[in-house]
Amino acid sequence: MFAWSLAIRNLRRRRLRTALTASGIVVGISMMFILLSLVSGMEAQTRSMIRALGGADITVSNSTSFRGGMGGGGPFGALPSPSTLDASIAEVISGIPGVYAVSPQFSFSGSISGRRITIYGIEPASYEIVTGGLNIVEGRFLAENSNGEIIVGNALMEFLNLTLGQTVSLSAGQGGKERTFNIIGVFETGMVFQEYAAYITLADAQDITGEYGVVTQILVKCEDPSIVSDVASLILSTVPGVRVTTPTAVIQQASQTLNTLTMFFATIGLVALFAGSFGVVNTMIMSVTERTREIGVLKAIGAKNHQIMKVFLAESLLIGLIGGGVGVAAGGILAYLFPMLTSGLFSVGASPFGMRNAGLSGRAISNIRLATPAITPTNIAICFSLGALVGILAGLYPAWRASRMKPVEALRHV
Amino acid sequence: MSKLIVRTINLSKVYRRGKVSIPALNNVNLQISAGEIVGIMGPSGSGKTTLLNLIGGLDKPTSGRIFVDGLDITALGEGELADYRLRKVGFVFQFYNLIPTLTALENVEIPLALAGVPKSERRERALNLLRMVGLEARAEHKPDELSGGEQQRVAIARALANNPSIVLADEPTGDLDSKSALALMNLIKDLNRRNGQTFIIVTHDPIVAERCTKIYNIRDGRIETA
Ligand SMILES: Nc1ncnc2c1ncn2[C@@H]1O[C@H](COP(=O)(O)OP(=O)(O)OP(=O)(O)O)[C@@H](O)[C@H]1O
Ligand SMILES: [Mg+2]
Repeated sequence: MFAWSLAIRNLRRRRLRTALTASGIVVGISMMFILLSLVSGMEAQTRSMIRALGGADITVSNSTSFRGGMGGGGPFGALPSPSTLDASIAEVISGIPGVYAVSPQFSFSGSISGRRITIYGIEPASYEIVTGGLNIVEGRFLAENSNGEIIVGNALMEFLNLTLGQTVSLSAGQGGKERTFNIIGVFETGMVFQEYAAYITLADAQDITGEYGVVTQILVKCEDPSIVSDVASLILSTVPGVRVTTPTAVIQQASQTLNTLTMFFATIGLVALFAGSFGVVNTMIMSVTERTREIGVLKAIGAKNHQIMKVFLAESLLIGLIGGGVGVAAGGILAYLFPMLTSGLFSVGASPFGMRNAGLSGRAISNIRLATPAITPTNIAICFSLGALVGILAGLYPAWRASRMKPVEALRHV
Repeated sequence: MSKLIVRTINLSKVYRRGKVSIPALNNVNLQISAGEIVGIMGPSGSGKTTLLNLIGGLDKPTSGRIFVDGLDITALGEGELADYRLRKVGFVFQFYNLIPTLTALENVEIPLALAGVPKSERRERALNLLRMVGLEARAEHKPDELSGGEQQRVAIARALANNPSIVLADEPTGDLDSKSALALMNLIKDLNRRNGQTFIIVTHDPIVAERCTKIYNIRDGRIETA
C-alpha cells in the first residue's frame, strides 16, 4: 500500500528528526529491557535454587525446630541438628491420600576432619524416587548396602582437599560415635553452600548418632504437583506435632516478590516510555502540519479519511519500531555488560524468601548474587511490540487530526 | 447534442467568516455536455475556484443541487464523496501538487492504489498513462527533477488514472510559460478527442480559452454566457 511508501520516504527525508524522535523511545525501551532482563535473571536463579533445594514436594519435620547448640566453623556453618520424629510416622504419611512416595531422612551436624558440616542420612532408593536424586559428578550414588560409604559435595571436597576413594573420619559430636567412611561419590548442586554437606545411609546416620528409630525429616512426593498444598494440610491435620515445608509455597512467595519487582521496574520503564512518546506526538503533529497541502491533494484525489490516517499511523508506527528495535539492541548490550559493571554490588542482604529448610543457612544464601540479567525471547518480543504500540498510540491523535482536515482548506494551505 | 454530464440547479455558496457572510456563488444554473472542453473565465474573486470545488465534490454548497452523470452529488456523505472524487473526477491544480517524496510513476499510481488496483497492474497502467502524456522516460524522477510543464503533465496523468468522466483544472497553465501552456492544451485536446473526457478549465489564459469548445464567464458569483 502506498501509505508505507509515503511513510518511509517521509522519515528518510527527515533523517535527523526521525532519529531524535526514535531515540526518545529508545531510552524507555532499553531501560525496560534491562529491567525485565534483570527480573528474568532473578527468576531463573530462584528457580534453579529451588530445584537445588531438593525435589521433594513436601518436607515434614518436627514442629519444634532444633535441638542442641548452633553449628559453627568453616566458611559455611552447618545448621544445628533438627528435632526428630518417630520413624513410624513415615508409614502414616505414606498412607495419606495423594501421597505417591515418602523417604525418611536423618540430618545432623557432624564433622569431617574437624569441619562441622550437615550430614544427611538417607534411604537411597526412596530418596531417588522422591527427590529425583543427587547430581553425581564423580563416582556413584549410595546403594542400600552402602554401609560405611559417603557422598561429599564438590565444594567441600575442594575445601578439604579430598579425593574420590579416600577414607575420612566422621563424628557426630556429643553422645555420638566416630567412624571412618569411604568417599564413593561427589555431588554438585551449583549452589556452593549446599555442597558443604555429605550423604550417608540412614542406618549409618542413626548408628553414628545413636538415635535409632527416629528421623529428622520425611520427604514426600505427591501424585500430582497441583495437589501439593492439599496434601500438606492433610498431613498437618492427620499427624500431630509436625511442620510441613513446601517448595511450591516458596516458589509462590518468590514469584510474588518477583511480580512486585517486575511491576515496580515496569512502571519506571513505562514512565520513561511515556515521556518518549510525547516526542513522537510532537513530531507527528509537525509532520501533519507540514504536509497539510499533501493531505488536501490526497483527499482531492479520492483518499478516504481512514486511508489518510493509515499514512500517518504507518509513519509513527515505523518510528516506534525503530525505537523498539534500537532500544532492545541497546538494552541487550547493556544487560550483557551489567554483571561486569556491577560486580560486587547487588548481592542480596538476607534470604529473600525466608526459607528454613535443612541445609540452607541464612548466612550462606546471602552470598548468592541475584543480579545476572537473562535476555529472553519473551522480553525481546515484549519490548519490541511495546515500541510499536507506543508508536501507534502516539500517532493516533495526529493521524486523526490529519484525517479530519477539510480538503478545500488543506489545499489552500501554503 | 450529446448528453449532459454536469448540471447545477440554483447552486449557491456563502462563506461565513464569523459574522461576515461572503457570497461566492449565486444561483448558478449550468449545463455541460459530455465531451466538451469548457473554459470558465472571470475576474479574481468571482467564484471560479468555488464552482470547480463544488462540482469536484471537495466542498458542499450552501444551497442548490449538482448532478454529475445523473448522480446528485450534493446528497452524498463524506465517504461517498471521496469515492466520487476517486472514480468520477480528476483534479489538476495550478501548482501541480505532486507528492514531492514520490516519483512521477508513484504519483500516478496513488489514485490506482486508493482504488485498490493490485500492485503489478498498477505499475503497468501508470506507465501507460505516463506514455500517454509523453513522460515515460521520466517515470523514476521526483517532481523537483521535472520542469513545470512536465510536472503538470504528470498531474494530468494522475488525474486520468481511474478513467474519470470529468477532469477539473484550476488555472493549469497559470504557472507555465506559453510554450508549455500550448503543449499542455494540445495534450488536453488530444486526450479529449481520444477518450471523450470532459474538461472543465478555470483560466485567464487566452492560449487555453482559444482551445476550449465553450466558454462561461462568471462575475460576482453569477454565470454570464459568452
Ligand atoms: N474559505 C473561504 N472563506 C471565506 N471566503 C472565501 C473562501 N474561499 C473563497 N472565498 C471568497 O469567495 C469568493 C470567491 O472565491 P474564489 O476562490 O472562488 O474566486 P476565484 O474566482 O477562484 O478567484 P481567483 O481568480 O483569484 O482564483 C472570494 O470573494 C473569496 O474571497
Ligand atoms: Mg481561484
